[in-house]
Amino acid sequence: MASSTCWKCLSRPSGRLTTTPIPTASISSAPFSTTARFLAMPKQTKPSARTATKGSKSFAMKKKVVVKSGKPPMPGERKAMRKRIVLSNTNALQVEGLEDLSKDMDMAAHTGKVVGIPGDVVDSLRAAEAFKVSQGWGMFRRPALLIREESVKITESLKRSEEEKKELLLVVDGERGTAQELTNAVTEYSPIPKTTPTLYSQNTYTANWLSQILKSNNAILQSIEMDPKRHNLPIPIRENITLARLCELGARDPDVSWPIFQVFWSEITAEGRPPVLMALDGLNHVMHNSLYRTADFKEIHSHDLVIVKHFMECLSRVKTFPNGGAILAATSRSHAPASKSMELMIRQTLDQQNGDKKVERDPFERKYDPRAEESLKQAAVMRLSGLTKHEARGLMEYWAQSGVLRQAVDERSVTEKWALAGNGIVGEIGRGALRMRI
Amino acid sequence: MPPRLNLLGATRSLAIRPRPSIVSRQTRVFQAVSRRGFADEKDPKPAAGPNQDVLPHVSEEAGDMSKITGETGPDVGQGTPVQEILERDEEGKSKAPEVIKEQINDKKAAEDTTFDNLLALGQMQNAADGLQLDDPAVLEGLGHKFGLPQLPLPSNNNLKHRYDPVVSQVTNLLMKHGKKGVAQRNMSYILNHLRTAPPPVPNPARPLVPGSPLPSRLPLDPIQYLTVAIDSISPLVRIKSLKGVAGGGAALPIPVPLTVKQRRRQAVQWILDATSKKQSRGSGKSQFAQRFAEELISVVEGRSGAWDRRGMIHKSATSARANLNNRAVKRF
Repeated sequence: MASSTCWKCLSRPSGRLTTTPIPTASISSAPFSTTARFLAMPKQTKPSARTATKGSKSFAMKKKVVVKSGKPPMPGERKAMRKRIVLSNTNALQVEGLEDLSKDMDMAAHTGKVVGIPGDVVDSLRAAEAFKVSQGWGMFRRPALLIREESVKITESLKRSEEEKKELLLVVDGERGTAQELTNAVTEYSPIPKTTPTLYSQNTYTANWLSQILKSNNAILQSIEMDPKRHNLPIPIRENITLARLCELGARDPDVSWPIFQVFWSEITAEGRPPVLMALDGLNHVMHNSLYRTADFKEIHSHDLVIVKHFMECLSRVKTFPNGGAILAATSRSHAPASKSMELMIRQTLDQQNGDKKVERDPFERKYDPRAEESLKQAAVMRLSGLTKHEARGLMEYWAQSGVLRQAVDERSVTEKWALAGNGIVGEIGRGALRMRI
Repeated sequence: MPPRLNLLGATRSLAIRPRPSIVSRQTRVFQAVSRRGFADEKDPKPAAGPNQDVLPHVSEEAGDMSKITGETGPDVGQGTPVQEILERDEEGKSKAPEVIKEQINDKKAAEDTTFDNLLALGQMQNAADGLQLDDPAVLEGLGHKFGLPQLPLPSNNNLKHRYDPVVSQVTNLLMKHGKKGVAQRNMSYILNHLRTAPPPVPNPARPLVPGSPLPSRLPLDPIQYLTVAIDSISPLVRIKSLKGVAGGGAALPIPVPLTVKQRRRQAVQWILDATSKKQSRGSGKSQFAQRFAEELISVVEGRSGAWDRRGMIHKSATSARANLNNRAVKRF
């Protein structure tokens, strides 16, 4: 907790200072005059040249007087309303027989079905800011998701990585509607001393990140104790504190958040710890120069920001996961910056996975980024396309059961919506069926 | 003094008639009606010419032959395709043009056609043989890949009328500067707001339009919600001022009934007026839609000022009803 002492001026807040108001009114009057200054005639302002012209009538437009009624919104209230995430619509019907997603569920048998997200997972996802405003969660009674073929595949590979203690490196790509804050210079940054090339840490972001990690994994982090002897932190900490407490310390003080995150990372990847999942949405945004500038106003590459660098080292197998884990990076196809290198690597990896001949790099292209290419060499690529008709039908039936889709769900309507949505692109099905094109 | 002679003046009285630019539509075709002179015979024999005693057409000849042999010949009433003639004529086949020869070869290849095609042909044959055409089972597979549509067609089956009439009308009324896409986005936000807002609590003093569903059911049918709100405050009449009837320069108000579309338009205008006066509480591009949707909810809950405006119009219409008996008005 911050001390109540002001360390800049060394003054201590006392009762007298805080209770007695500063007599501002007496300052304005001159101490040696017996005449009250306020009684003097006010200074006559000279009429300006324009208004003084005799006989001329100035053409003055009367402005409309806007009568404001009601209390204006408080600072920050309007933005909070815009960013508010609503996860439930009490008007929507409760879907009978909606199963909850669980670890032991037979995913393959549930392909094409909608399952509910359990409450604690919803809380974790909310803490990690995984829900977005535009995803339409607020239309239904409770958050639920469709199990599609690709989700079965991902679940299998996650289980495998846990069993074999081997990390899963995956880039998820797809069209817009099938599924940036770090690099667009909206959070503060500072260079880390004694680093060549100079790296930059984003301390406030890191502190916020640590608090999100803490909120979404509180139960696990409470049960793991750290070993302070292994690390030298810039702040003194007690012995045998839990990782949850460590995260709390980092979240509270942005100045030490990055060193604390490093300690946290080495602890969570030590022997015998649970597997780690790290995910990044909008890979395109970290594949080029960021909008940050160095002290001599040169552009900073995104991979020189330590958080991005950390993620990319995990994705390119520079950092290893002895307990297994998954690094997922999702590309963005909606108003995202173009990255020639990322596109090339995704194409080449896909060709390699399919056993096709690799596409060759364009010899005349100048916008390739060698650092971006290097970071994607180890990762596999999963390309998402449209849903199958079976999956589309499962989704539409869920919508109809929720009372949001007022239409018979039969072969004809499913095929119609599926075909109009570019062969089953799920976002487009939603736009066509639930909203008016939007 | 005698008038001076002017040579040019002599031609002045002559009208110059240029050729008409528009030729009359009647073409000048002489009727091919022969005129019989008094001395002509009543039934003249046709004049003998070089083509008088030619052989009949190949098909007619084949028909005559088949009549003699007792087989079924070609239908003389219809035109006979060349291919059919060539079937009977081996010599002609060899001398036929290359295109026709290729066709004959293709036809042989096409004889072993697909099963679907045969099936469809068989069904068409059945239909031609007089099977029940109304039978849906027959109609279903009558060569239509996707079957025939159910009749009567639903009213929203037309591309231009694919949305609900109220929705499309209100969308057009929301539109500014011809930006229909923006208006549609706003409409979508409005319907979504109605869908997620808590169910309205109607005011018994402001009864909704008769036949409206229970208020608790309105949110799940946002289009119905919108329709109920608009129809509940839409005025039945408008007041028209007739000038020069009352005398003394005063205009005579008379009530004029409105069509459904006109009534809804007036209601939406009132709602739009109230929307523009509201203050938005949030920020972002959906604010207008949110204010509009909140005004709709306040209409259903009986809080909107549009109810008073409707009441005022109806009141003045009731008093202006007497003016309809005015003789001058009756003339209109």
